[in-house]
Amino acid sequence: MWIPVAGLPLRLRLSALAGAGRFCILGSGAAMRKHLPARNRRGLADSSPQLLPEPDFRNPPRKASRSSLDFKRYVTDRRLATTLAQIVCGKPNRPPHLLLECNPGPGILTEALLEAGATVVALESDKTFIPHLESLGKNLDGKLRVIHCDFFRIDPRSGGAIKPPAMSSEGLFKNLGVEEVPWTAGVPLKVFGMFPSRGEKRALWKLAYDLYSCSSIYKFGRIEINMFIGEKEFQKLMADPRNRGLYYVLSVVWQVACEIKVLHMEPWSSFDVYTRSGRLENTKRKEVLELLQQNLYLIQMTPRRNLFANSLTPMNYNIFFHLLKHCFGKRSATVIDHLRSLTPLDAADILMQIGKKEDEKVVNMYPEDFKRLFETIESSEDCTYKWLYDDTLEDM
Amino acid sequence: MSVLCWGRGAAGLRRALQPCGCPGLLAKEGILGGVCGPRRSSSASPQEQDQDRRKDWGHVELLEVLQARVRQLQAESVSEVVVNRVDVARLPERGSGDGGPQPPRKVQRGATGASPVPRSGWAQRLEKDKRIQRMHMQQLEVNLQMQVQSQSEELKVWPKHLQVEPRLLSKQLAVFLAPESSWEEQLPRVLQEAPRKLRLAVGRAPSTQAQLSGQQQKLLAFFKCCLLTDHLPLAHHLLVTHHSQQRKQKLLTLDMYNTVMLGWARQGAFRELVYVLLMVKDAGLTPDLLSYAAILQCMGRRGQDAGTIERCLKQMSQEGLKLQALFTAVPLSAEEQATVLKAVHKVKRTFSLPPRPPPAVNTSKLLRAVYAKDGPVSYPKLHLPLKTLQSLFEKQLCVELASKVCVVSVEKPALPSEEVTHARKTLQTLRDHWEKALCRVLQETKNHLEVEVHKGRFSLYPFLCLLDEREVVQMLLQALPAQGESFTTLARELSARTFSRHVVQRRRLSGQVQALETYYRKYLHLLASDTKVRRAPPLLLRQYWEMQMELGKQLAEMLVQATRMPSSLDNRHGSSRLVPVLYHVYSFRNVQQIGILKPHPAYVQLLETAAEPTLTFEAVDVPMLCPPLPWTSPHTGAFLLSPTKLMRTVEGATQHQELLETCPPTAARRSGRSHPTGQLRLACRPGLEAPQPEEAHLPQSATPARKAELAGSWRCQKVARRCTACGLRLYRLSLAQHLGQVFWLPHNMDFSGRTYPCSPHFNHLGSDGRCPPGPHCPPHPLSPQGRKWWMGAEEPWQTLACCMEVANAALLPPFSISRLRPLPQDGSCNGLQHYAALGRDSVGAASVNLEPSDVPQDVYSGVAAQVEVFRRQDAQRGTRVAQMLEGFITRKVVKQTVMTVVYGVTRYGGRLQIEKRLRELTDFPQEFVWEASHYLVRQVFKSLQEMFSGTRAIQHWLTESARLISHMGSVVEWVTPLGIPIIQPYRLEHKVKQVRGGIQSITYTHNGDISQKPNTRKQKNGFPPNFIHSLDSSHMMLTALHCYRKGLTFVSVHDCYWTHAADVAVMNQVCREQFVRLHSEPILEDLSRFLVSRFCPNPTPRKISQCWEASQLKETLQAVPKPGAFDLERVKHSTYFFS
Repeated sequence: MWIPVAGLPLRLRLSALAGAGRFCILGSGAAMRKHLPARNRRGLADSSPQLLPEPDFRNPPRKASRSSLDFKRYVTDRRLATTLAQIVCGKPNRPPHLLLECNPGPGILTEALLEAGATVVALESDKTFIPHLESLGKNLDGKLRVIHCDFFRIDPRSGGAIKPPAMSSEGLFKNLGVEEVPWTAGVPLKVFGMFPSRGEKRALWKLAYDLYSCSSIYKFGRIEINMFIGEKEFQKLMADPRNRGLYYVLSVVWQVACEIKVLHMEPWSSFDVYTRSGRLENTKRKEVLELLQQNLYLIQMTPRRNLFANSLTPMNYNIFFHLLKHCFGKRSATVIDHLRSLTPLDAADILMQIGKKEDEKVVNMYPEDFKRLFETIESSEDCTYKWLYDDTLEDM
Repeated sequence: MSVLCWGRGAAGLRRALQPCGCPGLLAKEGILGGVCGPRRSSSASPQEQDQDRRKDWGHVELLEVLQARVRQLQAESVSEVVVNRVDVARLPERGSGDGGPQPPRKVQRGATGASPVPRSGWAQRLEKDKRIQRMHMQQLEVNLQMQVQSQSEELKVWPKHLQVEPRLLSKQLAVFLAPESSWEEQLPRVLQEAPRKLRLAVGRAPSTQAQLSGQQQKLLAFFKCCLLTDHLPLAHHLLVTHHSQQRKQKLLTLDMYNTVMLGWARQGAFRELVYVLLMVKDAGLTPDLLSYAAILQCMGRRGQDAGTIERCLKQMSQEGLKLQALFTAVPLSAEEQATVLKAVHKVKRTFSLPPRPPPAVNTSKLLRAVYAKDGPVSYPKLHLPLKTLQSLFEKQLCVELASKVCVVSVEKPALPSEEVTHARKTLQTLRDHWEKALCRVLQETKNHLEVEVHKGRFSLYPFLCLLDEREVVQMLLQALPAQGESFTTLARELSARTFSRHVVQRRRLSGQVQALETYYRKYLHLLASDTKVRRAPPLLLRQYWEMQMELGKQLAEMLVQATRMPSSLDNRHGSSRLVPVLYHVYSFRNVQQIGILKPHPAYVQLLETAAEPTLTFEAVDVPMLCPPLPWTSPHTGAFLLSPTKLMRTVEGATQHQELLETCPPTAARRSGRSHPTGQLRLACRPGLEAPQPEEAHLPQSATPARKAELAGSWRCQKVARRCTACGLRLYRLSLAQHLGQVFWLPHNMDFSGRTYPCSPHFNHLGSDGRCPPGPHCPPHPLSPQGRKWWMGAEEPWQTLACCMEVANAALLPPFSISRLRPLPQDGSCNGLQHYAALGRDSVGAASVNLEPSDVPQDVYSGVAAQVEVFRRQDAQRGTRVAQMLEGFITRKVVKQTVMTVVYGVTRYGGRLQIEKRLRELTDFPQEFVWEASHYLVRQVFKSLQEMFSGTRAIQHWLTESARLISHMGSVVEWVTPLGIPIIQPYRLEHKVKQVRGGIQSITYTHNGDISQKPNTRKQKNGFPPNFIHSLDSSHMMLTALHCYRKGLTFVSVHDCYWTHAADVAVMNQVCREQFVRLHSEPILEDLSRFLVSRFCPNPTPRKISQCWEASQLKETLQAVPKPGAFDLERVKHSTYFFS
């Protein structure tokens, strides 16, 4: 990593003590580096039907971490840390969950969490912080464990050998002594962290695939995720027909799968932005300035108990995804037009069954409508062939 | 207008998105024979109107809206004009054939005349409504008329007004339109007229097709296609309509006028010819040779008097055009040439055809021996009697005339159980219905498109007429995807098939088949006797196929539109609604969505159940049954009738073709005959069966997690099954069985001169699994050398397995002929061999076996040893990595890097390769891998530099030259020692073309644009390996030619040569001799000279920066690396050179 081993904690402490920001942001980006136009285009993926929101898991871009907007953000303000700890740990009289903290960095929040009585597993992807984190848990009787691991690279979909900080959930959870619980049981553990500033969408897609297929961390039950997310992505995630401009595939996917609660909102404005050469004082870069004007939202995503209660299963979820992608590929069209490319069944009849009119537009469908639509087709009885989609479609 | 557009757009969208339309309505009338729903003839009667909803959904909907609006207006008691007009619109709906509706313009005019001039706001609104309605109605009428027309073909409803007389912009020229004298008199006068509007003289004549705009290419293709399909009046009409509009006239080029003129000339239609000529003058163009050829031809056909012709010829010479050139520079068929000559003879009786240039013979020194006529020549004889060959030829001819081959599948023949028979019957019924439906849709589309042309718009009409309707329908049915296919691929495939069928058809019609038969007989005699082969006459064929995607798309859309099936096939008698067979589905890839045509799962199931015993292939996709034709031109050779290209190029790249056409016949052209007539036999195991996955049914109660696991395994199984099923019923084996005895693989080459078999399905390249044992030769005893080869083979197991397979095959009863596996001979690191020879590197030459030696040298071990030497030095100096690596430097670690260094691997890539190897070593401390690989790759490069000092210098020189050439803005070109011109086709940006509308818009890249800047990086990195490829292909070609001359059977895969074991000695000798001869040529000097003459601008450019660049380029190009001291002759004595 590019962070100088000795210099870093010092810098962090300085910034924390100065109280200039409640978070500390470390950016790898050389401020002069030109913003690639390709990135721009990818950013527009939602509005353009040509582009697909799903990231490619097979070939993650090698230079992703070098991106000029790839900041690392850490909670460095004690007061904020205490607030967050209270929010995450819930009421003091309840038995605390096991808490996985992703990328705790300097460990200020970790301390607060420990003080609030939580049992914390710190998953830190940056080796630099590990010795310091380990020192935090010295006298705590095993209440803090530090593992070199990148939460967003647990069970990478690219396959191949898994090298740290990527990890397999199997190994990690076994190591932690976490047992599998049925889907309908309670929440086995909580995760706290921040979505990587560049790859929010990528991370959301990965988690969504894991969730719907009940694999990776979700194999162990309905894991509750508490994450800070950027304002733009947050709005898109929570969008529905009332906010159709931002409504897209991931909104449906996540709103169907989880109950999403907003726990806290924290402005970016007071951030310190760090680049490789040090703290960035006056930036003229538009992207960074824009970012600084946004808020971060702490959201809680609890998978729904009844997600798989009907005919949606971890086996046919990919058809559901395909349905959504197809529909949002041409979002101004009517649902019935899309249905005709999705199923050989009588599209009008199906719409009638879910109580929708024939000229219903895609953007007018609520997330639950999509689920109902899917389940209606999936459970239609008198037909052998319900879908045109099959696995071959993806490798063609 | 916008409303109208909306109407059409909406209809298009609907059709695109809802192929199944309004199925509910269809279900109502379920009277129908067999399985396939009602006979869906479209008729205009109101009851049946409903059936046609799907097809004309948009229009019918519009009609409904209109009717509603009329009712509304009636309620408001408006003038009866509106009502009347609506009646007009309703006319066809009532199915009235009384006289047919009038053309829309008339209606419009009448209506406007009748309507009162509106004053009030209400009236204005009404007027607006009316206007909109009028437009709707016009649209409607056109559509409805088309329907009517399609039903009653004999009832010509649409009056065909084709414009013949042009509208000229110039008043002076317009005088000619109303002649006092005959048309013949007019002609010379027209010719004398100076072209109008001189403004266009400059910048209006794009020299090549590539420079034309897309629109222009389309138009030119349209005109040419009209000529081919006898739609000349239509072409003329479009030309006239375009000419009469200022904006559209700009699109027309002299080529287009000439094309139409030629058409009229062929028919001897003088008046029309003069019309076109007038337009040429009017557009400010000067007639060129082609125009005069057409004029003279026309006069020749009409038996014109001498006076007119004389004046014409005079005018021609005044314009500086030579009479001789008419016969040399203009492509004319023999008959046309005779006609022109007839006309010329009337004036100049003594004129004789310019003497044909003697058939150009390759002048390369290397090939002199091959073409030398002296001495007895022994070409390998086919061991088949003449009679057999002739019958094979006839078989192949039949296959190509039919354009497809049916092959019996080797899959275990399903017992024709009741289920299977039933499925087959169902399939047959369905196909019969589809055939009819397709026929209807095709006619409808054609009518619709013809109307478009009548309106003066470009359309695909003539392209759809290239083949007769039955053939188009057959082709479409055959192309119906069985599994799901990308829309673009299907479209491309369909247009390619149309083209190849069309070519075959034309060749058949023009009597070329008979000519071919006689020629081929002679050719077969030659294969049996030993006279020299004469070249077949060039078959004239110009390829222009810009319309590819448009046409393919149209065809694919028709397929989607026409095919439908009952929703449930099991339901034998009951009525069920009709659903489409093909669905347009999107598949989501990374950043793009790909449109896929997916068949209804029930149809897929039906196909599977029916397990049809035959597979159908395109004729050009399978090997040939008889010896291929020799390549005689870039477009002629290999297959008897089907079109093939000598050089495979990126689609749309015309540059290569142009170059090839101008170069003298090279060895490459002869290669078809001499090189790859490998006769292959194939092992075949009948009755293989694809494993069936167990379809377990999951209880609903299973936990999600369990389900997820199962889903994974099911997916695997499915994939596995598909793979086997997709060896699609083991089509290779089926093909092999079909071909059975002996067959030939025609070859063509890629842009760097390497040869590949034409047929994609079945050849000796590719993975081992499908690699058929090489050429079959009459049995010979295995020579000692052959055994040595086997023992020394690098992967003995692979080789053995291969041999075993042959043995197995031999044991199978139908093929139990004693036989031997042909012996492959492989160059040791062939690329390096060529480099070493080029640079005359002594050390390098020794390490790649160019130097005679008792034991085979291994370059990889050599490099490893050299690296080890460096490592030891560094270790002594105390370098930690070097110490760490002690004992780890093996042949295996460096092999891949050494092998690929010839092909331009960089340090970066090399490091990754080495890193991979190091990671495989279990006892190597993994944390040092990065450092160690970094160190090693430097050492490998250093060692190579030491050993092959010349190689690196040459590589560097090539790279640098390419970089500078590319900087100057050109792509690298060169000529191989055998005279094949090569161009590196890498350019910076491909032109992205889009075909919009319909089901989906297709985006594809078009590489033909030579105005694009070259891609420097690719040019630079590609030059060294491509150059080496062009050398090794030359070597291969030389070896092949000389082997053939010596009577050897020879097969090769780039740098691996196969022949029969007994002939190895001869081949080895030839191979070495040719290698020496090839490299005795001053290859690099020739290259340098060529590049200088090609790329160094002679008058030095004005800009200083360019000037500097040019001088730098020249300097670099002339600085040919100095060769070393290696004596090439020693290669001849090297045992292990190729082994």
